Amino acid sequence: MSKISIIVAREFNERVRKRSFLITTILTPLLMVGLVGAMIAMMTLRSGDIKRIEVIDASGVVAQELENSGVIEFVPSERSLEEINSYHPDTWGVLTIGADVVDNPSNVQLYTYSSSTLETETSVARAIESVVEAEKLKRYDIENLPRILDEVRTRVQLTAFKVDDSGSKKESSSVLAMGLAYALGFLMYMFVLLYGAQVMNGVIEEKNSKVLEVMVSSVRPFQLMMGKIVGIALVAVTQFVIWVAILAIAGAAMVNTLVPADLLTAAQAGTPAANFSYAELSGFDPDMVAALSNAMDFSYIGKMLAVFLVFFVGGYLLYAGMFAAVGSAVDNVQDSQQFQMPITLPLVLGLIGMINAMQDPTSGMAFWLSIIPFTSPMVMVARVPYGVPAWELILSVALLIVSFIVMVWLAGKIYRVGIFMYGKKPTFRELAKWITYKS
Amino acid sequence: MKYIIEAQHVLKQYGAFRALDDVSVAIPRGSVYGLLGPNGAGKTTLIRIMNRITAPDSGRILFDGHDIQPSDVERIGYLPEERGLYKKMRVGEQVLYFAQLKGLSRAEATRRAKEWFVRFRIEEWWGKKVEELSKGMAQKVQFVTTVLHRPELLIFDEPFSGFDPLNAELLKNEMLRLRDEGATIIFSTHNMASVEEVCTHITLINKARNILSGTLDEVRERFGATEVREVVRMSKSMNDIFIEAVGQTNSAL
Repeated sequence: MSKISIIVAREFNERVRKRSFLITTILTPLLMVGLVGAMIAMMTLRSGDIKRIEVIDASGVVAQELENSGVIEFVPSERSLEEINSYHPDTWGVLTIGADVVDNPSNVQLYTYSSSTLETETSVARAIESVVEAEKLKRYDIENLPRILDEVRTRVQLTAFKVDDSGSKKESSSVLAMGLAYALGFLMYMFVLLYGAQVMNGVIEEKNSKVLEVMVSSVRPFQLMMGKIVGIALVAVTQFVIWVAILAIAGAAMVNTLVPADLLTAAQAGTPAANFSYAELSGFDPDMVAALSNAMDFSYIGKMLAVFLVFFVGGYLLYAGMFAAVGSAVDNVQDSQQFQMPITLPLVLGLIGMINAMQDPTSGMAFWLSIIPFTSPMVMVARVPYGVPAWELILSVALLIVSFIVMVWLAGKIYRVGIFMYGKKPTFRELAKWITYKS
Repeated sequence: MKYIIEAQHVLKQYGAFRALDDVSVAIPRGSVYGLLGPNGAGKTTLIRIMNRITAPDSGRILFDGHDIQPSDVERIGYLPEERGLYKKMRVGEQVLYFAQLKGLSRAEATRRAKEWFVRFRIEEWWGKKVEELSKGMAQKVQFVTTVLHRPELLIFDEPFSGFDPLNAELLKNEMLRLRDEGATIIFSTHNMASVEEVCTHITLINKARNILSGTLDEVRERFGATEVREVVRMSKSMNDIFIEAVGQTNSAL
């Protein structure tokens, strides 16, 4: 085993064996799944609360024709308003309809026993309107009226397509793209910051415990630094892979139990036509159907995850190099604050760029920030779900690789001097000078 | 090859500070070589250069007759003045880790480490974390990590600091045993009594320069010849030689 791989193994093992690693790795995705599950459960719970409305119909034509909606149930009543007022165990409200409702449609009243909402009132009014409209049409004595009505009823659903360079078009879900952009971009920021800081803390710890001198009598400082950086990168990748696996399993379980089977079949077919016809039939939002369909498209999701990993490794190496250099230059974490500024600043800029890219992935700002290495990891993963031309991806990755090689080289130069500097906190000028020292 | 390691005209500069100025030292095989000098004289810098921790600005280091190579560090054992172990790591794991970095296989390292733990009667510390150890215990563990790969050259920087007299004696005996087994030992110290007791050669470094080198007898000869004490045929103590030699160069500068 080469020396660097011995170091990588130690850095990796020491971290993944920690109880805190196990807890955050298992609990974080479960927490996320639980949160989403609770939100869905709350939504279904709310829709289960059906409002029962008793209808006193003086006209005799409306009550039996009123169509129940998901949340409103109309019940024709024989009782008088006073009788219902005095005893109404499951009744939400009373609707009274005047005898002349067809000619005077405003002669309707709604009495409720708890506060009403505009949404409910509107749906009650719509229900009455359609019955009255039908009654009015009947007066014209048109043959085959119900069939004609069915035929003219029209509903338009816009389906969005993303046409890529190869000319093939694919139904795109902006809901899923936005969710992915946000999740991946934010995860990138978190991972680079947290694991980069781990590199710095590891270096400071080695410096404080004076173990460095023993280490560098066996290995080159550069090997030690790279061993630590790579070891921690493997910890991050391991954590990410476990998260994806848990989310995939839990997500599949959730989809199977919560999403109606026919919606699932439609989404699995995945064709725009299938999505559209299903959405039309079921009343589900077509974009949600498309989102589900995209989410079950493994090549799409796989591509997103692959891009994330490539940019994570590149971005992490770039920042970890800087964190290692800072760690080597100081004696304790407090002293590192001042040097962390130039590291966190571009990270925060990347976060802002990511939010901008989510809203407008083709804007000039999103484009440039996704090409410039310091911000590209976060901004590019936020743009990719919307589709990015191949040349932009390649340019961005190439620039990232070049810059992390330069950065790791510079960091190594600072590191090998910094690890033997104790006491006085160096200035930026001194750090720059260390780069020119002979090894 | 007569010398295991040689420094030839070594010069090292840190910014405006010259840590070593044209220092040449040759360490004969099988010797116990004392590296003496006041604090800040440049001893630790010379030791680091011999360990390939830093490189000289000019001059050469010859190991076993050839320019020192990266792989040569596997034939050197180094106990730095500032002792350090990974605090959160378990003792056994740590010993194996350092040994593997010195080129031993894990199995071989385990076998040898167990022997040393038995010899030092610290077997029960194998699974403990370093932070649970007392300072003296950690020193013993550190000593084991220094010698486990059976280096031909051992470099000890202030090996006795921090040891109680009993453990210092134990350590000294182990050093002598390693010498008897064929190792060459360089050690830097301020403890002149131990120099007289175990060293065969010394080099005295002051203000970045080598001001005095030779076997113990040669050194005594040179300084004793002009001294009144010679009349009573009493060897001058190493302590006196140290003070006198440093005083001479300081006043000459």
